[in-house]
Amino acid sequence: MDLISDMSEARSQFPILERILPNGKKLIYLDNAATSQKPSSVIDAMNEYYTGYNSNVHRAVHTLSGEATEAFELARQSVADWFGLPTGGMVLFTSGTTDALNLCALGWGKVNLNSGDAIVLTEMEHHSNIVPWQMLAKEKNLELRWVDVNPETYELDLDDYISKIKGAKLACIIHTSNVLGTRNPVENLVKLAHDSGAKIILDCAQAAAHEKLDMEKLNADFLAVTSHKMCGPTGIGALLISPGIFEEMEPVVGGGDMITEVFKEYSIYQENEHRFEAGTPRIAEAIGWSAAINWMRKLDMDAAHKHTLKLAKNAADGLRKIPGIKIYGDHSKDDVSGVVSFLHESLHAEDIARMLDSMGIAVRTGHHCAQPLMRRLDVTATNRASFYFYNTLEESNAFVDALKIIVERFA
Amino acid sequence: MSKWPEKVQEIIDDFSEALDQMERYEMLFEYATEIDELDVSEWTNKTRVVGCQSEAHIIVEFSENGFHLRGSSDSQIIQGLMSITAIVLEGLTPEEVTGFSPNFVSEMKVLETLTPNRANGFLNMFMRIQDDAREQLG
Repeated sequence: MDLISDMSEARSQFPILERILPNGKKLIYLDNAATSQKPSSVIDAMNEYYTGYNSNVHRAVHTLSGEATEAFELARQSVADWFGLPTGGMVLFTSGTTDALNLCALGWGKVNLNSGDAIVLTEMEHHSNIVPWQMLAKEKNLELRWVDVNPETYELDLDDYISKIKGAKLACIIHTSNVLGTRNPVENLVKLAHDSGAKIILDCAQAAAHEKLDMEKLNADFLAVTSHKMCGPTGIGALLISPGIFEEMEPVVGGGDMITEVFKEYSIYQENEHRFEAGTPRIAEAIGWSAAINWMRKLDMDAAHKHTLKLAKNAADGLRKIPGIKIYGDHSKDDVSGVVSFLHESLHAEDIARMLDSMGIAVRTGHHCAQPLMRRLDVTATNRASFYFYNTLEESNAFVDALKIIVERFA
Repeated sequence: MSKWPEKVQEIIDDFSEALDQMERYEMLFEYATEIDELDVSEWTNKTRVVGCQSEAHIIVEFSENGFHLRGSSDSQIIQGLMSITAIVLEGLTPEEVTGFSPNFVSEMKVLETLTPNRANGFLNMFMRIQDDAREQLG
């Protein structure tokens, strides 16, 4: 199969990118780290489900339910294959990365961590990989250890990690920063965690959009992933667990589909993934995610990431030449994501974002759910332009030109 | 006849006649300089408008001359909207403030939406002003 290595061909499959905004400007979508756009095949797959075989899964013998169940469970297999799930591992569907991290905290952490145990977090974490652990720490009297971020290199302090992981029971690490674009040396972090007897969960919300992850190679105990940043629909993600973890977990949510039998006095839980998926699952979303994975299979991921990086570097280089702008992140590296975070010394991030929006350019503003990192960087918010493979060099240049105009006119 | 008081209609007309959104932002930057500015040293948790992406602080005052607003923000757009709000509501009674519609901002065409959300600093500020006015009413 020939992979799509021409990014203009890839772009043509995303109808929304031709959108003309109410102010007459053509959309330039640079908020991909928040959510990616969806190709027609994903939209069509969800449409086909709802128009052709919408039905609840697992519990009926009729044709539609059979078709829906087959598509839903094929989606699980598709996720497992795409992320290189080791044999004996499991895909537990969740509503997204946040839900996956919470499932890890409550389903595994609550059962296996005890008073005085330590969890290692980093200052780079998204709030989704902080708050669940804080809640658990409060409930179970756990110690939270924080690994520093170097505000000059935008990297984790590896020596600090080595020091903090000693004696810890779990490390909760963001694979690729949603603010800085930094790809952490996760292979090494996993090894160091395991060497000291700790388990490790990787928050791969950003990473999954930019590189082909292989859980077996990564050797992490848990991966938290989401669909919507990798061309799939919102509302679905997964906690991927390595072999042996299932037996260490307890269900967090009770209800239909997660049981084999219910008595007045007690219930017997399923011995498979459904144990952690009470209630009607996200059927259309799973089918949409599977379609997104099928689409990504046709994409030359290396070419896509090179293209994304070229656009991000072009933007970062252009922004650096504009007086008063500071970039947060090191775009000289080849393994960063497509994120360009920046601030102007006198124009507020929110004002810049509104002005860019009036020029048709969508960027994100705020603390990006990473307030400990913001404090380390000594800022309260940044602007963040985030590129993806379907963006163009013209868009990257238009973004830089727009910033020049804003700074010349308002600063 | 306009549904808005004359001074409000004048502001709406000025903004409506702007060439484009960037010119409206320029006008907001100019209005931002006209507010009875609250010095950063006066910013406290009590003055903070919760729900703004930017730091926005206000003090609502009611005297015998009616409503008066002091405020500031690190966003010039928000401070400009704050300044216009101060002009629009200046001298009104607490009853009049609580009944005042924030929709004049929509008619100025400076904000795309007045839907309550965490990014809508103006609406959060306006609601806070009306809450303060309600407190005056007891």
